[in-house]
Amino acid sequence: MRRVAVIGVGVTKFGRHDRTSAELFAEAAADALADAGLPATAVQALYYGNVVGSETEKQLHTSPQAASVLGLPAVPTTRFETACASSHAAFRHAVMEVGSGVSDVVLVGGAERVLNVTTEESTEYFAYASDARWEQTLGLTFPGVFALVARAHMTKHGTTEAQMAAVAVKNHKHGTLNPKAQFQKEITIEQVLKSAMVADPLKLYDCCPFTDGGAAVVIASEEVAKAAARRPIWVLASAAASDWMLIGDKRDLSRVPATERAAAAAYRQAGLGPQDINVVELHDCFTIAEIVATEGLGLFEAGTGGVAAEKGWTSLGGKIPVNPSGGLKAKGHPIGATGAAQIAEVVTQLRHDAGPRQVDGARVGLTHTLGGNTATVLVSLFGRD
Amino acid sequence: MLTQKEFFEKAGAGELQAVRCSRCGALAIPPRAFCPECSERAWQPAPLSGDGTITSYTVIRVAPRGFAGEVPYAIAAVHMKEGVSLLGRVVDIPFDKLKVGLAVRFRPLTRNGQTAVGFGPR
Repeated sequence: MRRVAVIGVGVTKFGRHDRTSAELFAEAAADALADAGLPATAVQALYYGNVVGSETEKQLHTSPQAASVLGLPAVPTTRFETACASSHAAFRHAVMEVGSGVSDVVLVGGAERVLNVTTEESTEYFAYASDARWEQTLGLTFPGVFALVARAHMTKHGTTEAQMAAVAVKNHKHGTLNPKAQFQKEITIEQVLKSAMVADPLKLYDCCPFTDGGAAVVIASEEVAKAAARRPIWVLASAAASDWMLIGDKRDLSRVPATERAAAAAYRQAGLGPQDINVVELHDCFTIAEIVATEGLGLFEAGTGGVAAEKGWTSLGGKIPVNPSGGLKAKGHPIGATGAAQIAEVVTQLRHDAGPRQVDGARVGLTHTLGGNTATVLVSLFGRD
Repeated sequence: MLTQKEFFEKAGAGELQAVRCSRCGALAIPPRAFCPECSERAWQPAPLSGDGTITSYTVIRVAPRGFAGEVPYAIAAVHMKEGVSLLGRVVDIPFDKLKVGLAVRFRPLTRNGQTAVGFGPR
């Protein structure tokens, strides 16, 4: 494989928009191309993530639509759907296209629009990422899946609701430093603990919001990257793993084996380990998800992720800052865009361009994106020369 | 090979049907093409007792469209006596009695004419 770099990033404001997901993507993609200093004509392919467009926008065939709205009707496009990990899956495949020498410049991104429908409807559509016959018929929700993970983690390791709340408080604090974040206000442990129950033991403030938004990154071969406007941020690894779809087949709900497998593959590809990572953007769709991910990525031992959050080890200025962007919790979670948005944040961090939320001296970064019911995980590693 | 439709027809009649690998003895529910343990494709029917214990649970308060009239409702992951696990609705057990390790027994639930997996007190 050839070396591949990220040379441009773009992210819309996350929150509520009165624009289609294709329009949101086009804004992010145009910003990413401008950031890369490349004309739109340089793009040789689009790898695109979009999840519930067929429900919220009555729209399939979203990748050529996104390319058309961007003004690139002729490039080959592919839409990826691995639930919330979609644009990270798109990224991994785009890296393979450039790495293998098929293309030199590829645009990767995603977008989602969900705030144009009711919470009841979006809760239904997100639940489509669980098995239709075995689990949707029970009324299982996406918070319900992670509530089962939380209860198992609490039972096995003694993790507390206050430790989970500490993740929300930390990510909201980080979000105040990110002008693109959906929420830019601090919250307290007490507010989290007193918020309305969604799926016991997860409360409203343990859950990420529904979000509209788009994100895009431009990736390029080494030759193009070295001549690019911005410092290239190298893709050191990009790995994917899966796990059983049904909750009943997952033997230990306190763990996410797909995270452990994807992380092991990514570390192996890069010749690095968790001790080498300076900044992490990971999939905190729920507070417990961040705790379990920090353990699965090897940043902390199994069972100690809650303690790490409570002690501030994952805060900006802590041992290993996690989600300086505010994470899905505060930055927001437009599911088709999330993987690309996480990559955009880590690239910004590694360029030392993140302003008040900069992780000092960051040289190696990790992104982790999880799909739906923990059946899909992608992990990528990035570095600066 | 037991189809999904057949599984739920049997479940609706109160019979939980798993499959057992005739090479290595691994148990699976629902059926799958290959044995994940040994890659064999020779399954035998293996009825389950219906007895299990809760390994995790939640009470859903914010429901998807179509379920809003049913909240709150409990869902649990249940480890069956024979070694496989199933997710199901928990009925006839007060929420404050739910706990990991609680003994439960399978019972079929019917919702909109469809059978779903349920668990009640042993």
